[in-house]
Formats: sequence, C-alpha cells, structure tokens
Amino acid sequence: MDEMTGKDGELKPMTAVQKAQTRAFIEGLQQESQTYWDMVEIGDELSRELHLTPELVILYLDPVEDYNPWYEGWRMNTWHIPGESPFGGAIVPPLLVSHFVLSVQFDHTRPFAIGSIHTFHDSEILEPIPVGATVRITTRAVDKFEKRGRRYVRHEVTVTDVASGILYFRETRDILSL
Amino acid sequence: MPLPFGWAGKAREWEKDRMAETGERLLASLPITPETPVGFEFQPLRKKAAIQLMGSRAWGRFNPNHWDPEYAQSTGLSDPIQTGEMSSAYIAEMCVNHFGAAMFKGARIVCKYIASTVAGEVVTTHGVVTGKTPKGNGFRFRADIWCENEAGEKKTVGWVEADVGV
Repeated sequence: MDEMTGKDGELKPMTAVQKAQTRAFIEGLQQESQTYWDMVEIGDELSRELHLTPELVILYLDPVEDYNPWYEGWRMNTWHIPGESPFGGAIVPPLLVSHFVLSVQFDHTRPFAIGSIHTFHDSEILEPIPVGATVRITTRAVDKFEKRGRRYVRHEVTVTDVASGILYFRETRDILSL
Repeated sequence: MPLPFGWAGKAREWEKDRMAETGERLLASLPITPETPVGFEFQPLRKKAAIQLMGSRAWGRFNPNHWDPEYAQSTGLSDPIQTGEMSSAYIAEMCVNHFGAAMFKGARIVCKYIASTVAGEVVTTHGVVTGKTPKGNGFRFRADIWCENEAGEKKTVGWVEADVGV
C-alpha cells in the first residue's frame, strides 16, 4: 500500500510495475550533458522541418484541454477531415509552432541540456498555418547575457512554409541556463 | 432523417439543445469588437496542472522534471513543474476566444514565465484591454494577460496585440 499513499501517490498513483517502467525510462534519458550556456555560441543556427499532421495538432491540444473546432483535421469516427475555420479548412493553434521550437533548439542536446528553463517569448503570428502544412523552423542564437546573476541565451526564430515560402511566425525567446 | 449513430445521434441533439440554452449565449458575448472599451476584462479559463497531462508526449515527456515526483525531488523541486508553454497555450486559447480570427494574422503575444506551476495547482487565465490604437477602419487592441494560481500568485505575465475591424 505504501506506493499508493503520500503526495507522490496523490500526484501519480502507480503500481510497482509502472514505477519500474518509469525508472527504466528515466535511466534511458540519462546521458552526458552540458549546460545550455556552454553548448551554444552566438550565431549558431539550427533548422528542422515539421509536418503539422492533424494527429500532431491533437497531441498538442488534448493535454492543454483546448477543444476549439477550428483546429480539428481529424475526428473520431470520421478520421481525416478538412475542418472548418474562418480561413477555410482547419488551422493550427496560434502558439503550436512556438512549442516545437524547443525541439529544434535542443536538437543537439541529449536528452536535454541540464538546468535550462524557457523564460520568455515574444511571438508574432503573421499568417494562419493550415493543418497539414510542412513548416521549416529555424532558430539562431543572437545573444548571451547575464541579468541579476543569471545567464540567458536569446534566440530569434522564423517559421516558414516549406512549399510556398510563406513566413508564418517570428519569435524572440530566452532560455535561462545554469 | 434517421439519427446516424442511434443514441449517439440523440445525445448530439440534446447537446445542441443544451448549448442553445447556455453556452451559445456565453460564446456570443466573447468577441472583441471595435466598440469594446479599454478596461474590458476577458472571460477567464481555469486549468488544473494534472501530472498526467504535464508528462504527455507532445509536452513535458522529454524531461522528467515535468512529470516524475521522485526525479523532480532529486533536482530540488518540491514536485514536478509544468512547462511554461502550457500556460502560454492556456492564455492563447483565451485570446482566440476573444479576438477570433484576428489572433492568426498580424497578432503578437508576449509571455514571461515568472514562477513555476506545480503539479496539482489550478491556474486561471486573465486579460484586460489596456489600449486601442486607431488602425484602418478599426483598432489595434492591446491587453495585459496573465495566469495565476488560486492563491493569486502570478505564474505567467505578458501582453497581446491584435487588429479588430481593420
């Protein structure tokens, strides 16, 4: 019964088998890592393409419990649908691509740089992104600075359509690093 | 016309009736128009930082600090903390409720994460219109946005701008 009581149990009740699986997963993440500050040089640029499938949009939305129908390009019992929004078909939520910038920034760190925390974003949503688009997310390190004894790395981000070249999204974001 | 899925279709009809009585009226009151005054307060959203959601694959799964109590405590945290971007998503949802299509074309949203949201906390989003600048046939609206826990402690603060009636 011990494993099902106490604060841990309240947050995430698990059986012994589930706990063992979790520990195995976490051990799999443990790899040699550095601080983000040491990994990044000003001018470093990383870029990656992301296919914004209807299923990926749902994976993003369900955990934040956002059920706006404008974003639905997939529905149970119907599966792939064109969707409906003020722009015609389904579109992706305003900050979805911002969330996936993280995967590009930390592309070269496995599994994540130790002691790094996203602290700030200034995001411009320029054009609606249709569900199904493939976008290129590009991040460029533009500054490293210290503020009140803490170290920050600043990136500038662009998100463009791979097929049409449309600039959908632009962002400045800061990562605090140990 | 027969209902497509028997009871499921019937349930859909009941849901439509319920929405007609309550939700539709509420949703109709949300959109910001050129006439909306400075000082207008957004309709809040309330979200619980449930650990199972914080650790989902598209969000915090890559970092056990977002979902594993034991690991979080080993790094000095009292409990797992939510990624800041989940609070940005909550705030963006509130902004879409009010600005609609304008949030997807020429909008700007700035968020600063000033405190961590800990597993189990309930946060509420807020917004208040602080300015409207004439632009075209309408205005560029600006609003302060934030989310806070039940004790009133702010977690994420920022501002949003969007064109209305332009």
